[in-house]
Amino acid sequence: MPEILGARELVVALGGGRRGLLGRRTAAVRAVDGVSLSIAEGETFGIVGESGCGKTTLARTLLGLQREATGEILLDGRRASGRAPPAARRDRAAVQYVHQDPGAALDPWWRVGATMDEGLRIHGVRDAGQRAARIAEMLEAVGLDAAMAVRYPHELSGGQQRRIGLARILLLRPRVVILDEPTAGLDLSVQAAVLRLLRDLRGRFGLTYVFISHDLSVVRRVCDRIAVMYLGRIVEEGSAEQVFAAPRHPYTRALLAAAPHLDGRASTAPPLTGDPPSLRAVPPGCRFHPRCALARAECAVTPPPTDTVAAGHAVACHRWRETVDAPEKVPA
Amino acid sequence: MIAPVLSVQRLSVRIGAARILDDVSLAVPAGGTLGVVGESGCGKSTLLRAILGILPRGAEVPGGAVLFGGRDILADGGASARGRIGFVPQDPYLSLNPVFRAGDQILEIMRRHAPGTRRDHRARLVELFRAVQLPEPEAALAKYPHQFSGGQRQRLLIAAALCCDPALLVADEPTTALDVTTQREILALLQGLAAARGLALLFVTHDFGVLASLCESVTVLYAGRVAESGPTRDVLDDPRHPYTRMLLACHPDRATALAGIPGTVPAATAQPDGCRFHPRCPLARGDCALDVPQPVLHRGRVIACPYHAEALPEVALA
Ligand SMILES: Nc1ncnc2c1ncn2[C@@H]1O[C@H](COP(=O)(O)OP(=O)(O)OP(=O)(O)O)[C@@H](O)[C@H]1O
Ligand SMILES: Nc1ncnc2c1ncn2[C@@H]1O[C@H](COP(=O)(O)OP(=O)(O)OP(=O)(O)O)[C@@H](O)[C@H]1O
Ligand SMILES: [Mg+2]
Ligand SMILES: [Mg+2]
Repeated sequence: MPEILGARELVVALGGGRRGLLGRRTAAVRAVDGVSLSIAEGETFGIVGESGCGKTTLARTLLGLQREATGEILLDGRRASGRAPPAARRDRAAVQYVHQDPGAALDPWWRVGATMDEGLRIHGVRDAGQRAARIAEMLEAVGLDAAMAVRYPHELSGGQQRRIGLARILLLRPRVVILDEPTAGLDLSVQAAVLRLLRDLRGRFGLTYVFISHDLSVVRRVCDRIAVMYLGRIVEEGSAEQVFAAPRHPYTRALLAAAPHLDGRASTAPPLTGDPPSLRAVPPGCRFHPRCALARAECAVTPPPTDTVAAGHAVACHRWRETVDAPEKVPA
Repeated sequence: MIAPVLSVQRLSVRIGAARILDDVSLAVPAGGTLGVVGESGCGKSTLLRAILGILPRGAEVPGGAVLFGGRDILADGGASARGRIGFVPQDPYLSLNPVFRAGDQILEIMRRHAPGTRRDHRARLVELFRAVQLPEPEAALAKYPHQFSGGQRQRLLIAAALCCDPALLVADEPTTALDVTTQREILALLQGLAAARGLALLFVTHDFGVLASLCESVTVLYAGRVAESGPTRDVLDDPRHPYTRMLLACHPDRATALAGIPGTVPAATAQPDGCRFHPRCPLARGDCALDVPQPVLHRGRVIACPYHAEALPEVALA
């Protein structure tokens, strides 16, 4: 399948130039720092990584809500970057976003049905009856009673708000949907229903998903390919199969080993040592080296090149070959 | 038995025609950890709000009591809870005021409820920020909420909930925005506080992995009622209520397909008669639609289903 959405050497700086309340200039941080990715039409592309590593910032930049400092974004093979947010967002209307915080996406003064209706109207669905039918159908698909449409956001539970946020975007049938933690806070049965819905819609309308999630068992099940981010960079990328069965980057391995299990069995790896990384003091060399058990002198000096482990599987680590012989248990 | 720090007794909550909680009881001892699970919309957040004495406008409590340290919180409008129960709300985005620095908002809480000077408070907060794995804890004090990522905001609120050294921490899905390595540090921190200082924990979660690793006991809610409760290990190994069994069968560690429970949780305004799970239950029979099942005690567990010993048909778990 051809690439539908891509990024080349994307760098995003946040917070720079703005003066704080005390008149001090705050230095910019590079929340995304040299990310390249290529998302094929019709696939589900997973992004995982530590909290604060830049996933939401990457998503906002792909959407055109945040301007890139350098680098390129490609939509359908055409350069789509280089413009400032309102215009950039219009250019990339085919890409939609399901917000990480459901409360941030809904207007507290509008009944949720009205919010959904407005979205469809803006997207050119003129017929009111048709809009109502599509809204009712979508509410049912996310496991909500059609009567929920007359509620205000504060009259809904957290999971109900999240499902409304999801339904609101899926209604518009965009070509690419960036889902930021779409299953966070959903119980298992609703989660299963939502994942089924996403799969069905993908089949019916040929949607492409970018799936940002902390839930590794979900990512493993729904994603075709996965990129692992650490401190603004992609450190490993491959098919879901490759990344889960044969993780090569020490960070990926630590992440997979830390997943809690139903049987309460202890994690297979020691916790990550060292302080959580800061964007204001990015370590030289490999960014993960201060917390890496395999780190050697060169890791603290030279940024690792991106090596090909196997077809479609890439890793940015000086010492990935040493993880080959030391298979670690990964969650079943 | 040790006197519980928190005890909820036959609590019911309504908002207009919505019957959100009915006859819910639970208890958490000092140093104890209780998890509350149940499908979206079954009343978990409302239960926590009742415990904190912050039910929304228009909510009525037709019956029941919430005892914290022996005092009824519902009777005193939450006054005896203030500063002594830490709360991590479900939506970190809506819980921080965007125009004030996050650090100042938490220091204000400490000024009102914690002993010590502002300097003590700052030092304590920096220590807490470090414990919840925020990068550059000192600098974090001066940042505005939007300058944090989703998971960082969630951790800010965990630090805020712990800032007054509470006796009880009530947390609503507090790790949903965290990756598993960070989550592990947070759970270890809470477990440490429970063991060292007797912090009691009441944890709403959808994550059975978290439940298994953090909570000694669990209460399963369905449509505003307790379906099953007991020691976590026992409930996970041998769930008895048909709802618990079907919910656990959805877990990716156990399910092969994208299983689910057919049907949806009823709206709180349209609770079915009898057992509220009966329209979705493969074991349901005539009397299930008529009688509210009385909780039975079975091997240290409370189960609200008279047919809990029966096997579920295979198809229900497929
Ligand atoms: N003001 C209200 N009027 C009517 N119904 C309400 C109101 N507030 C909440 N509800 C309903 O009460 C039920 C319980 O809500 P609650 O937020 O306690 O659920 P929850 O178990 O926390 O769910 P989640 O896991 O999705 O957060 C939901 O069905 C919700 O729609
Ligand atoms: N406006 C801003 N100014 C300065 N720094 C910011 C700003 N917004 C975000 N950051 C920082 O940029 C980094 C990346 O944030 P981002 O929200 O992209 O992370 P994330 O990977 O989505 O994390 P999470 O999983 O916690 O949601 C974080 O360290 C955050 O503190
Ligand atoms: Mg994020
Ligand atoms: Mg809730």
